[in-house]
Amino acid sequence: MNANLAERLAELPHLLSAHVILSMAALGCGIAVSVPLGILAAQRPGLSAVTLNIASVIQTIPGLALLALMVPLLGGMIGFWPAFLALLLYSLLPILRNTIVGLQGIEPQIREAARGIGMTRGQSLRQVELPLALPVIVAGLRTATVWVVGAATLATPVGAASLGNYIFAGLQTRNWLSVIFGCLFAAGLAIVLDQAIRWLEVAARDRRRGLAIGVGVFLALLITVSVMPRFVTFQGETANLSRVEASAAPGIAGETVVVGAKSYTEQYILASLMQRQLEAAGARVERLDNLGSTIAFDAVRTGEIDVYVDFTGTIWATVMNRPEPIERHRMFTEMSAWLWEEHGIMTLGRLGYENAYGFAMRRDRAAELEADSLDDLAPIADELEIGGDPEVFARAEWTATRDAYGLGAMRTRTMDATFMYTAVRDRQVDLITAYTTDGRIAAFDLAVLDDPLSVLPPYDAIILLSPQAAQRPGLADALAPLIGAIDEMMMREANRQVDMDGQTPAQAAAWLDAGISE
Amino acid sequence: MIDPAAPVLDIRSVGKTYPGGVEAVREVSLTLERGQLLALTGESGCGKTTLLKLINRLEDASGGLILYEGEDVASLDPVQLRRRIGWVMQGDGLFPHLTVLENVAIIPRLLDWNPERTRSRVADLLDMVGLPSAEYAERYPVELSGGQRQRVGFARALAGEPDLILMDEPFSALDPITRDGLQQEFRALQADLGFSAVMVTHDMAEALIMADQIAVMQDGAILQQGTPVELLQSPASDYVSGLLETPRRQMRAIRELGA
Ligand SMILES: Nc1ncnc2c1ncn2[C@@H]1O[C@H](COP(=O)(O)OP(=O)(O)OP(=O)(O)O)[C@@H](O)[C@H]1O
Ligand SMILES: [Mg+2]
Repeated sequence: MNANLAERLAELPHLLSAHVILSMAALGCGIAVSVPLGILAAQRPGLSAVTLNIASVIQTIPGLALLALMVPLLGGMIGFWPAFLALLLYSLLPILRNTIVGLQGIEPQIREAARGIGMTRGQSLRQVELPLALPVIVAGLRTATVWVVGAATLATPVGAASLGNYIFAGLQTRNWLSVIFGCLFAAGLAIVLDQAIRWLEVAARDRRRGLAIGVGVFLALLITVSVMPRFVTFQGETANLSRVEASAAPGIAGETVVVGAKSYTEQYILASLMQRQLEAAGARVERLDNLGSTIAFDAVRTGEIDVYVDFTGTIWATVMNRPEPIERHRMFTEMSAWLWEEHGIMTLGRLGYENAYGFAMRRDRAAELEADSLDDLAPIADELEIGGDPEVFARAEWTATRDAYGLGAMRTRTMDATFMYTAVRDRQVDLITAYTTDGRIAAFDLAVLDDPLSVLPPYDAIILLSPQAAQRPGLADALAPLIGAIDEMMMREANRQVDMDGQTPAQAAAWLDAGISE
Repeated sequence: MIDPAAPVLDIRSVGKTYPGGVEAVREVSLTLERGQLLALTGESGCGKTTLLKLINRLEDASGGLILYEGEDVASLDPVQLRRRIGWVMQGDGLFPHLTVLENVAIIPRLLDWNPERTRSRVADLLDMVGLPSAEYAERYPVELSGGQRQRVGFARALAGEPDLILMDEPFSALDPITRDGLQQEFRALQADLGFSAVMVTHDMAEALIMADQIAVMQDGAILQQGTPVELLQSPASDYVSGLLETPRRQMRAIRELGA
């Protein structure tokens, strides 16, 4: 079997089960909230207008934004809970609306008949109104199911594992098999759950107890099978670890370390590299990949992850909110001190390479425009279009560069980082905000323009340890060999292996590891 | 405990003003003797349905007193009261998601009868209304004709062995032939089981044929109460004679054809 396919399949039990647990928990609680709320609201026009309006407003927030917003709302917490809460909110509208519409659609005659023959309010609701509204309510539930299973793929950037991991990681590393894997399984799961609910409805309508039990057993099995892998691997690894503990030196052997990564190739490779070092020291490593840029920092601040790699310039501009860059080594020192004093975060050290933002152009296009440096672009700025990742145009680096070199007339175009390099190669944009360690700069023969005014801040790659992790000396020891060990050449080559040659990040990390050990 | 000679229903100076100020029923006094059928008639909007709802407390009276089997209905729990009084509405008011059997068994179940008693009562009633269980019990209301649905409606109202049943235009949605048959069957059923009934109807001919007592209402008040013969012989006002004129004219027309 193809190595890529084998690796994707190996991830499947974990990601699928996480996806099932997350979406079923959100749906279950969504039903528990919105059906009773719908019943209450159906009898009170004022309440139904208010609740429906609130739910509709929630619905108009794009799924990704809703998920991301939960992180600050929960005080920086990442992982299952913010994702669960956002998906729960997302499931409310269809169920709530259909419960209200279904109940209000019942003929007043029927309701009066129920009252007239001596049913209490509750009996009328349970024996007459809810059964009659059931098809409408179930239709809402099915809509919610499809939405929630789909939106759960967006849980990846807030640190909750889901089938979205396939999609986000695949998109960043141009691993289309991975993207397709995520889409197929998410769609399949949505269809399966949707059909399960449909059959439950049929069973309720036709009072087919056998069918209801069958579907119930299926759903229970699905949940059990989803919950079990966690339990089983946990036990298995505990057994493993006790063996390691017996033999390995004291330190972090047998302990769990959570390694975080943002959502692009270089981060996956470095996370895999740290994972190798930590596992070599006997630790059990959990990965939280595809974190949004600021979510990763929040996560290390709150200790949800123990370690990840960031850049001095990023922390300087977006966390410390310092507008003007300063000299590279001073920035590192000031930033380290600030992180330690403000948050107790330990800057373990610099990996060695710099990955700055740079402005890259096709070499022939640069020649045509006679442009070597950003200075040369000002007079023709209104004719140029620049592509950048979703983050960059909102960052201080871009505004500072734009203002320093008078590039305000340039048109900007946002796209995923994966597509920027091919976009500039294929002349869809004139220049891009490239990462200087990206393997595709060399591969596509792009020219990086000079920054004579030194507006762009230095971006030294640094290892950050959470306050808790900083108290575990074994952890820093295990990662110490990486300090100063990776230069730009090595990083660019590792990135290239993944982005161009279709290697997995783990394979590229192994290659780096071999280079370091030499 | 119940005095067989006392009226089943004794309504004294009852009034109802809806929130919003409509005075739908004013100073109504009526009595209904055991086993009799009282027809409430009058033009649209005169308060017939409202008066009916006051009896089983689907609406609460604004004033006056209603005694059911000698008890003031205002002092009874409305849910319990409704289970002791049959309720038949226009259309049929059957529950579309329940079978014929389940529709009829609803009140016995609400009354917590044991399953054996419920089963035999339902079977007896379905036989009595001409819908043998074997053929009809498992059908849903959509699988019945209008007349059959109305029969199920009667069976449901009678299932809890009530002393009184209230009917709001029970025959109005049926074609004349079905209506005629059902009217006769209903009277036979009543003679058999001995319950009392209040029936709202628009149709004076129906009232004359079926009722023991007729009460004519106008603007929320009773204009006249009496037997069909009393009404025909001495209508209390021009309004009442006007209402009687329609069936009279039809009768004359038919007799002339026959002659
Ligand atoms: N729930 C209500 N709230 C306010 N007014 C009502 C209500 N129900 C009925 N009414 C009013 O009370 C009056 C009597 O209505 P009711 O339904 O008792 O008449 P009815 O004699 O049954 O008429 P119909 O023969 O058309 O059924 C009408 O003026 C009606 O508009
Ligand atoms: Mg009426």
